[in-house]
Amino acid sequence: MKMSHACAIVGMLLCAALIAGCITPTPPSGTPTPTAPPAGAQVILTYTKGTGPMPTLLGTDQIDGYIAWQPFVEVPPMAGIGKVLVYSGDMPPEGKWKDHPCCVFTANEKFISEHPDLVNAMTASMILATRYLEEHPEESAEIVADWLAGKGNFTYGDISVSSVDVLKRAFPTVKFVNEPNDQWMDSNIEFVHALRELQVLTGSLKDSSDADSKALLFDTTPYEAAQSMVDQGKIVTPAPVRGTVGVGYLMSDHHAALFVAIKKWEYFNDTYGIALKPRDPAASRPDAADLIVNGQKVAEMKMISGDAGPQLMQLMATDNIQFALVGNPPAISAADKGTPVKIIMAINFEGSGVVVTEDSPVTDWNSFVAWAKERSAAGKPLKIAAPGKGSIQDVMVRYSLEASGLSVREG
Amino acid sequence: MRYLRFLLPLLLIIGWEVASWVVNNPFILPSLETVIPILLHPFSPAYTLGTGSLVENATVSIQRVGLGFLVAAAVAIPIGILMGRSTLLNDFFDSTIELLRPIPPLAWVPLALAWFKIGLTSIVFIIFIGAFFPILLNTVDGVRSVKKTWIEVATTLGAKEKQIMTKVVLPGAAPTIWTGLRVGFGIAWMCVVAAEWLPGISKGLGYLILYAYNFGQTNLIIAGMVVIGVIGLLIDFIFKRVEKKWFSWRGLER
Repeated sequence: MKMSHACAIVGMLLCAALIAGCITPTPPSGTPTPTAPPAGAQVILTYTKGTGPMPTLLGTDQIDGYIAWQPFVEVPPMAGIGKVLVYSGDMPPEGKWKDHPCCVFTANEKFISEHPDLVNAMTASMILATRYLEEHPEESAEIVADWLAGKGNFTYGDISVSSVDVLKRAFPTVKFVNEPNDQWMDSNIEFVHALRELQVLTGSLKDSSDADSKALLFDTTPYEAAQSMVDQGKIVTPAPVRGTVGVGYLMSDHHAALFVAIKKWEYFNDTYGIALKPRDPAASRPDAADLIVNGQKVAEMKMISGDAGPQLMQLMATDNIQFALVGNPPAISAADKGTPVKIIMAINFEGSGVVVTEDSPVTDWNSFVAWAKERSAAGKPLKIAAPGKGSIQDVMVRYSLEASGLSVREG
Repeated sequence: MRYLRFLLPLLLIIGWEVASWVVNNPFILPSLETVIPILLHPFSPAYTLGTGSLVENATVSIQRVGLGFLVAAAVAIPIGILMGRSTLLNDFFDSTIELLRPIPPLAWVPLALAWFKIGLTSIVFIIFIGAFFPILLNTVDGVRSVKKTWIEVATTLGAKEKQIMTKVVLPGAAPTIWTGLRVGFGIAWMCVVAAEWLPGISKGLGYLILYAYNFGQTNLIIAGMVVIGVIGLLIDFIFKRVEKKWFSWRGLER
């Protein structure tokens, strides 16, 4: 009895010593000490790992606003719990975020080199679908409403809103563009700089030159091959691929090109000889499709939706998916950490927005800044949610807040 | 007093409706009127944001949980019997099992995806983790609690190890193993939301709840919770009925 007590006490002491040793701070040399609370007005940024919790947090007054991708910018106005402050292209400083890059089309580097024709064909399918989005916005919005909500209604207490109406409102705030030109690449590289400042980049992009960053991030050869096939009106039939090919995407109208490519497969098949034919055409959200080129089935594709970009990049790193439609920061962070991901082309510009609570005294950005200062002075700084640290939305809202003389604290 | 069991649920429903008026915020508590239509149309896909009907989602979830549960039972019962019969094997397995047991199924999600890839195997694995331990521990306990005198009598009468196992140990342990299965299924069913949180899933009650969350559709979330609760109740009822029918001798032999 005595012996076991003694053992227990010694054990506990050992544990305590170990734990104490673990948490004793050893100041790393060279890193700056955490800055003291900065002077001036503060805004708290809180991360919600995707958009999932945002409407609920806003509806229960736990946050004062959020920045999200579409269609989640439109949810608060229709639920009567918030209003749109600004769409991302118009965020300050003026002109800074006009045509800002957003989602990109990516593929696994190894998969590109092993199946170049298939990657080219898939890229061509996305290019053709993007063209369709531009030409048929109304119909495309309906297709997205079907994909995201089965064209059903959203219900908030007494309010019931058609998802088709919501998506028709959200759609014009997104610009669907593919071309990976120099200007677009440079603005992507600006995100590399922003992520460095946030200390998100710790690997090969930590101090790379811009030219090296570009070389690591981009592979536009599939885009060029696909574009020339589209121009010539002739898609090369790839050799069939065994096993399934995974395509990751997010539940957002940013990724409308994928939804339209699948839902309008007959049109693309008849017009261009390339189609993503859904296994279950009756499903609102088909999760399997055959890639058919010139009447020949070349691959079975699985559509994998993620909660946010980092999760999709994790799936690509573990070879669960070979393609991903994803925001550029998750792709940049993943490439930095050694994930074999290459950005092929753009998917869309803009398409995010900031919402604030319904009862906020806010009509435009200036009154928002005034409100933030007032609340900070009263010791109750505004709390704004963003999908994740280093997301496009995080980078933009930080920049805009700081450019307006507000400082940002995470919390 | 037969109907007393229905009193609390009824009071809860009335309390809910009153509270939803008072709170007047559909995100905190949606009113009954927005939840009931969903539950009244279990075969209609019009209420679930394009995720298919409630019945379709429930069927998919039951299949997944059933499969994970069966695999867990198939692995846990034999190991449990061995551990219950042999002190050596018990000592060999025990510490590892106690180490793994407190790890919640959700914590296994990242590894499940990396190991088993997207698809049924990952889902079944998560549910397996949930169901495995209660079945195992109850089996060990059941085998151990078989009366020594029964085994001794059988040995004296010349029974071989195989006969002792099939005629004495297994029947003697069966009620406790059954309790383990009942508890295991309950936990497996609770894991449905965690398992369907995995990417690459487009159906299931857990998926439906998490998907509705994206759009702040609290009424659909509650409808999904109610369906999960009702199915859990029904399955537990079946387990209890079997227990009463087959294993009621346990109360008698003491």
